[in-house]
Amino acid sequence: MAANNSPLPDGVTKEQAFGMAETEMEYRVELFNRLSQTCFSKCVDKRYKESELNMGENSCIDRCVSKYWLVNGLVGQMLSAGGQRPM
Amino acid sequence: MPTVEEMRAQEVWNNCAIRSAFSGVVGGGLGIFMGFLLGALDNPLMHDPDMSAKKQFIFTAKQMGSRSWSNCKTFALMGLVFSAAECVIEKARAKHDVTNTAVAGCVTGGAMSARAGPQAACYGCAGFAAFSVLIEKFIDRHS
Repeated sequence: MAANNSPLPDGVTKEQAFGMAETEMEYRVELFNRLSQTCFSKCVDKRYKESELNMGENSCIDRCVSKYWLVNGLVGQMLSAGGQRPM
Repeated sequence: MPTVEEMRAQEVWNNCAIRSAFSGVVGGGLGIFMGFLLGALDNPLMHDPDMSAKKQFIFTAKQMGSRSWSNCKTFALMGLVFSAAECVIEKARAKHDVTNTAVAGCVTGGAMSARAGPQAACYGCAGFAAFSVLIEKFIDRHS
């Protein structure tokens, strides 16, 4: 690949960048799986009476995803802020 | 996996205003039908010697028409209020329960009987809530 659109940051080789992208991808996939699992088990009733989501489940899933995302962001902030001093 | 059209249709159906409007229209249709039925039952064809058969028919038809129009409005309002209340309650609680139906029935019964005073509103609330819970259980058993 002769033309690189985004130049790598200093001191990072291509293999390292690939490794970081792979880790990031795994993290994203894990986050998505955890999110759907959590919200499904919390919001959807175990007795499946029909195949569509009814309105209560719909708004429950909306709220669940929003809260999960906020918690994720908040915890990430705390971790990166508290990284200077050991926990 | 649902297609885009199916998801859009589901989103449209999840809108409270559209749902309650649809229920109102269905209630209105039911009201017209019941008005015809009850009007026909209440006005038997009497052999009045003063009016000819055609005039009597027109008279009966007008009575049935006004009866079914008032019934239509009542039932349409009932369906609209019930559906809107149930939709709003279910969206707020984020749960699919029989409690939604009961509270929506209470709101509808109370609103319909509110003109006759607070005690009538209480009775209407309790009665309609019990009725709607029964109907819901009946529907659930057979689906």
